Amino acid sequence: MGDALDQDLVSDLPQSIIESILTRLPIRDAVRTSILSSKWRYKWASITQLVFDEKCVTLCNDRDLVEKSLIDFITRALFLHKGPIHKFQLSTTYLQCCPDIDQWILFLSRNDIKELVLELGEGEWFRVPACLFYCKRLTRLDLFRCELDPPLTFKGFLCLKSLTLHQVLVAPDVIESLISGCPLLENLSISYFDSLALNIKAPNLKFLFLEGEFKDISLENTPLLVAMSVAMYMTEDIAEHFEQSSSCNFVKFLGGVPRLERLIGHIYFTKYLSIGYDLGNLLITYNYLKVIELNQVSFEDMKEIYVVLRLIMSSPNLGELQISGSSNALVALEAPDLDLWEKQSLLNCTFEKLKLVKMTDMSGVPHEMEFVKFLLSRSPVLETMSIAPCVYVMDGRLNMLIELVRFRRASPRGEIVFIQE
Amino acid sequence: MSDGVMAVVKPEMKSYIWLQTADGSIQQVEEEVAMFCPMICREVIAGMGSSKNYAISLPQRVNPAILGLILDYCRFHQVPGHSNKERKTYDEKFIRMDTKKLCELTSAADSLQLKPLVDLTSRALARIIEGKTPEEIRETFHLPDDLTEEEKLEPLRNITDDPRIRLLNRLYARKRKELKEREKLKNVEVEEERVDERSVEDLLTFINGGDGESKGVRSNKSKKKNRRRKDHLKNSSNDINGNHNKELDALSPPFHDGEDSKASPSRTSKLQDSTTVSFSTKLEFDDVDIDDDLDPAMKEELDREVEDFARRLNSDWPERMQEILSLGQERRLVSMSMNGNGSRRYNKYPAAALSGLERC
Repeated sequence: MGDALDQDLVSDLPQSIIESILTRLPIRDAVRTSILSSKWRYKWASITQLVFDEKCVTLCNDRDLVEKSLIDFITRALFLHKGPIHKFQLSTTYLQCCPDIDQWILFLSRNDIKELVLELGEGEWFRVPACLFYCKRLTRLDLFRCELDPPLTFKGFLCLKSLTLHQVLVAPDVIESLISGCPLLENLSISYFDSLALNIKAPNLKFLFLEGEFKDISLENTPLLVAMSVAMYMTEDIAEHFEQSSSCNFVKFLGGVPRLERLIGHIYFTKYLSIGYDLGNLLITYNYLKVIELNQVSFEDMKEIYVVLRLIMSSPNLGELQISGSSNALVALEAPDLDLWEKQSLLNCTFEKLKLVKMTDMSGVPHEMEFVKFLLSRSPVLETMSIAPCVYVMDGRLNMLIELVRFRRASPRGEIVFIQE
Repeated sequence: MSDGVMAVVKPEMKSYIWLQTADGSIQQVEEEVAMFCPMICREVIAGMGSSKNYAISLPQRVNPAILGLILDYCRFHQVPGHSNKERKTYDEKFIRMDTKKLCELTSAADSLQLKPLVDLTSRALARIIEGKTPEEIRETFHLPDDLTEEEKLEPLRNITDDPRIRLLNRLYARKRKELKEREKLKNVEVEEERVDERSVEDLLTFINGGDGESKGVRSNKSKKKNRRRKDHLKNSSNDINGNHNKELDALSPPFHDGEDSKASPSRTSKLQDSTTVSFSTKLEFDDVDIDDDLDPAMKEELDREVEDFARRLNSDWPERMQEILSLGQERRLVSMSMNGNGSRRYNKYPAAALSGLERC
């Protein structure tokens, strides 16, 4: 056995394990292992995942210098590397548009690249070279601050499962055909687009993340969607567009996602859904929907209240509901249509699975309070109803509390948590 | 919900299988625990392990002690109902062991195809390596330090555009050349006994040399050069060195007369810092490509320094990079002095050589 203490055990581990160790190190540490001993000389050179960021070099105030040493580091590391590179990630604000990246991508395109992440800095955006579109085996493509203009012959990435476009300059029709050209796409994330009208056809899509000033989004063919998070910003233009819109956004957006489990909406999402809303029959039941989070819901807008009600009442398995308000207290105090809460359809429904409700930014206006009352009376297994008043509401807090304690609760175990600050 | 409770509740329901480790010992373990390892699972499905005679023989890399650890791991994770946090806490505790054991465990888990454990242990090993200097890593894992300093520099040279590494490589190149030269000289020595004597003389001169006898040193050196050139001429196969000596002749006068004419501001300041250096010494190191005659004491010094330099290069990576970067920015060479109170000469070689580089 020899002197067990002095045995070099780590060097004799199978290459697959060594690689799995090296892959978990920052690349600078991984490259440095080549000076450990003769056995370690080229071990790092065949790791299949390369992640570069500015930690590869020592930072200083001279941007040009950092940029140059970063480029040198990456170029040389790629030269020293041998074998396939399945993942290449470059995340740094120090690099923007530079010809070296084109060369790296060309190199990668010949080395079996499967996952490519380019997260570049502001300034001049990097124009993705044509060779990228010939990486037929790509499964993941993340582009930050790039310009995307596929060649005419490009038909799509047949293996792509995850696509992220963040601040990417691309024509709307190109983005649409790119999405539909990736038949296996499961994960789509699009952010920072202006006035984008988009028709998403992705039969295998499971996760959708949208953020930006969208004009018109339609989920045309996304039957398998499991989770979505949408943040909608609104400009005057878009608001105007919404005014004139005649189609029902709720149906266009949520009409074809029967398998949805998790829905998160930010900013104007609820408002967006309320555009063109009609009080027709419910077309769809979200049997899998367990978590709904809607932010900045305006309880002064009856249409938005209808959207919320329609969503939760079509989700028989809902377990968790989070809503943050954005009521303009002055207007909402008047609150017409309070008889809504006496409607038979509301009195007939129960939330059999609802356990947790979080209401934040509450201003205590009538429709908000009615909504809380409604949930408390219709949720037999509710465990926690937490209520956090909006920071601007100071005087009304006591009144809110007084009202809250009067509400009947369907759940014997339910507690009300009133959160101050 | 502890394991103890589980054991009490269903002792009879449990079925056992037989496992044999490479050392020949056979043990009986709970089937549902062992089945957590894909390799064992496959064997069981194939009908193995049901009796002592059909014990499943485990791969070489699994010894009884490690098997015990692995089964502990499986026993915990095979029980449903642990929260993610509980699992994480267990894992954190589980991998608290010395690196030797951790390596054995990784290897054994790999041979049993127990991927979650391989991931866990690789992550632990990576955490041990991360941020450590090569020396520390070697010490931790008992790695042999079997690369030459030059080999160690090679990847660094390729990865970083470090002027000091270029310098070191030049120094190495010169060292190599020097060794060749010595070989050649040795051959000559067979005929000319005096050669060795002279180098001893040089050595003595050098040792006494610091106290302002620069003239004497210089003359001695040039004498040596002349002799050496003769040697080169004799040794007609060596064209390169002949050329170098010609170059040397062409280049040496300015150095002898006054280096100010060539000195950049930073160099001048450097020289002022180091007034006690004899010019001849400077000449020796000013242009690495040209001079190739070093006396043994200096060579030894140089070797030592190169090694030390390399060691520093390897050890204090981040600080060094910082130095390099500031160096690149300001073109100052002050940071080259490696330890403040070290011998003066110690500082001078790289400074002089670097200023040579700067000119390039």
